[in-house]
Amino acid sequence: MNSIPDLRVILIDDNEIDLLLHEKLIDLQQISRTVLSFSSANKALEFLSSNISLPRIPPTIILLDIQMPEMDGFEFLQAFDSYPQKIKSQCHIVMVSSSLDYGDITRTNANPMVVRLLRKPLLVKELKETVSLIFKDFV
Amino acid sequence: MKENRIRILYIDDEIHNLNAFKASFRRSYEIYTALSAQEGKQLLKEINVHIIIADQKMPVTTGVEFFNEIKETLPEPIRILLTGYTDVEDIIDAINKGHIYSYIKKPWDEHELHRTINNAYEIFKTRKQLQEKIVELEKTNDELNRFIYSTSHDLRSPLMSVLGIINLSRLDNSVVDPNGYMNMVESCVLKLDDFIQKIIEYYRNSRLEVEYEKIDFNSLLNDCITAFKPQNTAILFQTQVDQSVDFRGDTFRISVILNNLISNAVKYQKPEEANPMVNLTVKVEPHKATISIRDNGIGILSEHLNNIFKMFFRSKNNNKPGSGIGLYIVKEALNKIGGTINVASKYGEGTQFEITIPNRNEFDT
Repeated sequence: MNSIPDLRVILIDDNEIDLLLHEKLIDLQQISRTVLSFSSANKALEFLSSNISLPRIPPTIILLDIQMPEMDGFEFLQAFDSYPQKIKSQCHIVMVSSSLDYGDITRTNANPMVVRLLRKPLLVKELKETVSLIFKDFV
Repeated sequence: MKENRIRILYIDDEIHNLNAFKASFRRSYEIYTALSAQEGKQLLKEINVHIIIADQKMPVTTGVEFFNEIKETLPEPIRILLTGYTDVEDIIDAINKGHIYSYIKKPWDEHELHRTINNAYEIFKTRKQLQEKIVELEKTNDELNRFIYSTSHDLRSPLMSVLGIINLSRLDNSVVDPNGYMNMVESCVLKLDDFIQKIIEYYRNSRLEVEYEKIDFNSLLNDCITAFKPQNTAILFQTQVDQSVDFRGDTFRISVILNNLISNAVKYQKPEEANPMVNLTVKVEPHKATISIRDNGIGILSEHLNNIFKMFFRSKNNNKPGSGIGLYIVKEALNKIGGTINVASKYGEGTQFEITIPNRNEFDT
């Protein structure tokens, strides 16, 4: 599966069980060796800003939950939009949510930074398809 | 000065009328007076009155003109017009333009005026209470809807985690489960999720504005069939769409209706039936679309037919009890878009629903 050796996945979700589930899923499917879990959007942003000084930013997939306390997925997107292009161009954002709210779905689809919206529970097939969609030019 | 006294503003250009009014009524009411419409308006900025009495014949601004002017800014006080002339034109004008409650002839009869004032105040009070009730009800309704919405979402999120755990346990083979308990847990979770989704559907149907757009019934039916076919691959779906004219309707509600009816047709099949089938026909006319959904499933007991559209009604004579909300949502959605539904069923043989939905296409514009 893993055609991108230094691919890393960042998980942002306030639900600890979902974080664990997604970690395991990525691990089992050998999608990436590096999985970084954050239980809040703020902590993830903090980590990403510490990356700015790196000489090279590895290709990154961010699995982002929508409904979270304090800062929700949309607020994360808004904040992350102000980050330098150098880091944004390496980060591919996939929203993951159990929301059936029509407003949430249309807002996600309308956001240019979001590659795709995946429904919870996250399915192996959909996750793999999305990863290969993102890196289709690398293969 | 008591707070619950009736407050009256009386406007008249003749000072002795104002004085006479005060002399006779000041014991019963809290009275404010003004010599002109202008002065009256000034006073109304400071004091909230319940009743306004105005003389018709005044220089500069007449009583009717005055009432007409304050109609927008001060709709609540009840208006009474006083005049020495019994001019029919005046009365008609007053009623049409100024929202006037009553018309009193000068010189006034004290008892009559008393009665009129008290009746007017009753109306004022009732209107006020009604308004308060409306505000209260709207608030409660809104809160209830938001409660349904957020609860449904909060319930759904842990449920999806459970499904995720089940999926993972299958993927890494970490759970020894010879009795298939995981499958049972999964089917229970899916059932609960189905119910939550129905509640969200109901919520959206009650809140969302009706929106008309072009609908292609062929593709709409195909979407439904694709979604339900995996639930029972033995079922033969037959569709016949006769759509030679354009149809406009509310896509969300029409698909909610079709999804619920087709879902039932798939779910309530006879286990022993050799050729289970679901027959769908659509006929579009310039003024309406008629859709029929027919199955050869278990059917509905005739004594239950009258109740199937009621909220939480479940037909007892089947081993697959539903949530009791699907057909209720169908009925509610049809109400929103002006459609109708009929059902014919024979227990043990099958069920046919026929719905009609108005076509909102305007052909000559």
